[in-house]
Amino acid sequence: MTALDLPVRTHPDERRQVASGNQEQRRRRRREYRLFALLVAPNLLVIAVFAYWPILYNAFLSLTDWNMIAARPTFVGLTNYANILTDPAFHKTLWITLVFTGLIVAGSLVIGLALALLFNQPLKGRGVVRTISFAPHILSGAAVATIWLFIFDPGYGLLRALIEPFGAEPPDWMNNSDWALPGLVIVYLWKNVGFTALIYLAGLQGLPKELDEAAAIDGAGTWTRFRRIKLPLLAPITFFLLITTVIGTFQAFDVIAVMTGGGPGDATTTLSWSIYNEGFQAFNAGRAATLSIIMFVILLIVTAVQARVMERRVHYK
Amino acid sequence: MRRRAFLGLAAAGSLAGCGYRSVDAEYEQPAGAVPKQYAGRTRVVFWSSYGGANGKAVDKLVAKFNESQQDVYVEAQFQGSYDDVAQKVAASLIARQAPDIAVLSDVTWERFYLNDALEPLNGYFTDGFGPAVYQQKLFGEYVVKGQSWCVPFARSTPILYFNRDAFAKAGLPDRAPRTWSELRSWGPSLARVQSGGRSLRSLALAKVDGDWQFQGNVWQFGGAYSNGLDVTIDQDGAVAAGEWQRRMVHDDGFAYMANSAMTDFANGLVAMVQDSTGGLKSAMSKAKFKVGAGFVPSEVAAGIATGGGGIGMLRNASAERKQAAAAFLAFLARPENSAWWTTQTGYLPVVDKAREDPALKKLIADEPNYGVAIAQLTNARKQDAIRLFGRNSNVAIYTGLQQIYADNASPRKVFGAVARRLEAIGDEVRRQYEEKVL
Repeated sequence: MTALDLPVRTHPDERRQVASGNQEQRRRRRREYRLFALLVAPNLLVIAVFAYWPILYNAFLSLTDWNMIAARPTFVGLTNYANILTDPAFHKTLWITLVFTGLIVAGSLVIGLALALLFNQPLKGRGVVRTISFAPHILSGAAVATIWLFIFDPGYGLLRALIEPFGAEPPDWMNNSDWALPGLVIVYLWKNVGFTALIYLAGLQGLPKELDEAAAIDGAGTWTRFRRIKLPLLAPITFFLLITTVIGTFQAFDVIAVMTGGGPGDATTTLSWSIYNEGFQAFNAGRAATLSIIMFVILLIVTAVQARVMERRVHYK
Repeated sequence: MRRRAFLGLAAAGSLAGCGYRSVDAEYEQPAGAVPKQYAGRTRVVFWSSYGGANGKAVDKLVAKFNESQQDVYVEAQFQGSYDDVAQKVAASLIARQAPDIAVLSDVTWERFYLNDALEPLNGYFTDGFGPAVYQQKLFGEYVVKGQSWCVPFARSTPILYFNRDAFAKAGLPDRAPRTWSELRSWGPSLARVQSGGRSLRSLALAKVDGDWQFQGNVWQFGGAYSNGLDVTIDQDGAVAAGEWQRRMVHDDGFAYMANSAMTDFANGLVAMVQDSTGGLKSAMSKAKFKVGAGFVPSEVAAGIATGGGGIGMLRNASAERKQAAAAFLAFLARPENSAWWTTQTGYLPVVDKAREDPALKKLIADEPNYGVAIAQLTNARKQDAIRLFGRNSNVAIYTGLQQIYADNASPRKVFGAVARRLEAIGDEVRRQYEEKVL
């Protein structure tokens, strides 16, 4: 803490007491504490107002029945939790969310790493390709979704134009329960891998060359060097990407909203879509808040478990 | 100890008390600016859900009103779809900064009424603005317990749009099919017409919000969504309507689920859609073929659902602003304005005398499509209560329809599950419904 290093202005008389001065030490600590409080206060305030307060308020709403127009919410205790946790529709939502998240996380990491390894080679034009692969990440979700709706369209879509010459009929991606979720996964991967590739690339370029060279001299092949040296050294990066992608995917909403609206039927109804549906289509603030708390708890547990596991496996140096 | 308990109570109190609406408080308006030439007038904020060509027509009506008098300035603010407006009005009430009037749809005004957010309008009615002026059916849908809670504005029914050029190529008569059976029997002829490299399909079914059209289809097959709040969607008539559509999609291949049925139709990808009359003008201008319009087919009965938007006044506006807003509503109820809105959009004329307006009469004479919805109004009915008063009933029904369209699910099974969902939804509002509607 830099505050500790700041010179503390003291009166010359007091300076003489320092050796014996318990009091002086306390005062000094208090002053440092005040400075610390002053420095963190603005951030803390913003976080409290925009993060902690909504979470607390949301927790309160989850104990109520409220349609957002009635003058007051009605307190119903844990009824919402009991209803939701025993609802088969909720179980299906949870399953869909897990499949969706799992596929996107695994896909983003594997493809991202593969791309990063490729971009790390001294190939011609790699700068351009790097930029192209990263571009989808900075596009807004709604725009990405609109583009892919066109690509997937069974009547006049791009994919149809590509597939048709070979005599094949493309599936009606977004209007078929078996294809809608894989379709969404493709879109999110397309949007995500540029980012994971970029982070992995930065990691690869920061790896110490000596280890790799030493292993090469000892006769280790490319694959062995990748598995035994690069991959373990990249573990902190993988850990970071794992957590951010899991959280990001759990909260994915924009593309789902534009492309499927949770449908057809409930085929792409993830937890975040069902929160929106309960809250803003049904005006069921209590149920929406309860679902949000459930999602919050799940993410908390997932992150804690990941942190625990990684603590043992990740070597930061 | 005591202090802590007190603080806890205070915190709980502020948690429960602050931030919620008080029914009779006076709220501020959303921000905006009054142009210089209208300075000093009472400002009325009007939240609308019409974009594109229809939005431009709203803006023109508002501008005409602002020019027509000296006291009131109406500011129209486009807020997105019907659902968006409902969400934003609810949020604005919590924020205590609400519009004075807003467009509310056939399935959203009820929730504002049930929760005391709307101003009863009878006290504002005058000779040129009130029950005697409006089309009776459309006006009556907003009357509960003797009071009007909205007035009709952009009201619609579904009509059947058909591609006249494709019909001619298929050797079919130049009219809409009279029954669903007839429509189905035309499928093979239409399939012989090529469009975009594939055979033309007969009917596009809406992926989202198709439950509005399906409300009428259920009646046409002799069923109902509900009787009062008692759900009947899992019974024979509704199941027959679902089964007819399932067979058209999966057995015959004549119908399919479309992301935007109207876009597909206007691009010539499908021969027919049942869609709002409010899209007539834009469909006719976008399509590169001759657009036909006709009654939605019947089967064992005729019957179509009214829908679209009315305008409600928010109870939390100040008395002065309410009075000013009423002046604008009265302006919209003038026959020439109602007629002009119809000519610009295709929505029903909500004022009876508008039908005698020379401009509208001429338009109908030149282009009979504009007369279809008006003539079909005799078949129009108020929707079943579960769709109107049960929050999210519409979503529950159309996601059920998606399962039929997408997955070839059995309508009886799907509607059984939808019925359970609707019953739960009905139970949520039953007490309010029995208290405030019956």
